[in-house]
Amino acid sequence: MAQSQGWVRRYAKAFCKGFFVAVPVAVTFLDRVACVARVEGASMQPSLNPGGSQSSDVVLLNHWKVRNFEVQRGDIVSLVSPKNPEQKIIKRVIALEGDIVKTMGHKNRYVKVPRGHIWVEGDHHGHSFDSNSFGPVSLGLLHAHATHILWPPERWQKLESVLPPERLPVQREEE
Amino acid sequence: MQGAQRGTRSWVSRITPWAESGAKPLSHPGCHESCFCQWWQSLHRTMLRGVLGKTFRLVGYTIQYGCIAHCAFEYVGGVVMCSGPSMEPTIQNSDIVFAENLSRHFYGIQRGDIVIAKSPSDPKSNICKRVIGLEGDKILTSSPSDFFKSHNYVPTGHVWLEGDNLQNSTDSRYYGPIPYGLIRGRIFFKIWPLSDFGFLRDSPNGHRFSDD
Repeated sequence: MAQSQGWVRRYAKAFCKGFFVAVPVAVTFLDRVACVARVEGASMQPSLNPGGSQSSDVVLLNHWKVRNFEVQRGDIVSLVSPKNPEQKIIKRVIALEGDIVKTMGHKNRYVKVPRGHIWVEGDHHGHSFDSNSFGPVSLGLLHAHATHILWPPERWQKLESVLPPERLPVQREEE
Repeated sequence: MQGAQRGTRSWVSRITPWAESGAKPLSHPGCHESCFCQWWQSLHRTMLRGVLGKTFRLVGYTIQYGCIAHCAFEYVGGVVMCSGPSMEPTIQNSDIVFAENLSRHFYGIQRGDIVIAKSPSDPKSNICKRVIGLEGDKILTSSPSDFFKSHNYVPTGHVWLEGDNLQNSTDSRYYGPIPYGLIRGRIFFKIWPLSDFGFLRDSPNGHRFSDD
């Protein structure tokens, strides 16, 4: 009987040791380095979810790249929605701080992006809840940079940071 | 893993089996225990195994405790030092307070709470202010001496922050309401200075909002 108890205790000890090592490391990795997420909605067609509701793309979200809040124009990023903090939205960065953008559907025709903010838009204009609705977003809401599509396998690709030519900023902030 | 190895954590040992196990002597046919062979064996056994094993163990412990610290600060709370005069007299410059992050994750921030948030114009710095209004509230934005009162409604998903030291505080009266997603945690307890130890007071400015 003493032997079987010792066996259980040893297993419990090993489990606890493994648990307190594995869980914080995994959580930190998913929060700070990278995670995966499924994209829903049609606001980024045709880059993401071109099949509509039949198949949702799964993307790799890279937190490490945005740990210093450095993004480039044309990056596809995920951020906390300014209108609903429980939801994350995925959009393309169109303009950085200091740029002047020509808006599509915003109450002002031209907007200068304030310091510490970015202007994001979905690729599917007209079907996208983006900066044209809620204005420039603060960089503090930035969550991750979407770098690759992982699923479905026929859509494996690296997501390129290209700005659609018709959406270039009217005036760029000089470096 | 027997003998001296029983005390080591099994997962570290698995990463470096060649350093931890009693490796067989590095000899080859024709080696007659020459000086070089002996030197190489002693180097391998003492220095490499000792130093490399210790380095791996140190790195392993650092990663593990760093991850536990990240989880604690991100999901539970931590100790924060505040600087600046914008929350006087409630929080003075260089006070040390305790902040908890559970309210943010469960969306339990109330009016009157003191919160830490990322600054909207500089995401790398934090601001420490009191929540005056939640989404949908009507905020009085004109000063009391104005004849015509002007109101602002706080949009959905945003909060209105103001410092307790109204004369010396850059807050929502300057940059507007901030999104809820920028809030990092709620301050509820002061640790230092000891003369002011305890839970934090209510706002000294009374109520400047009307519920809708």
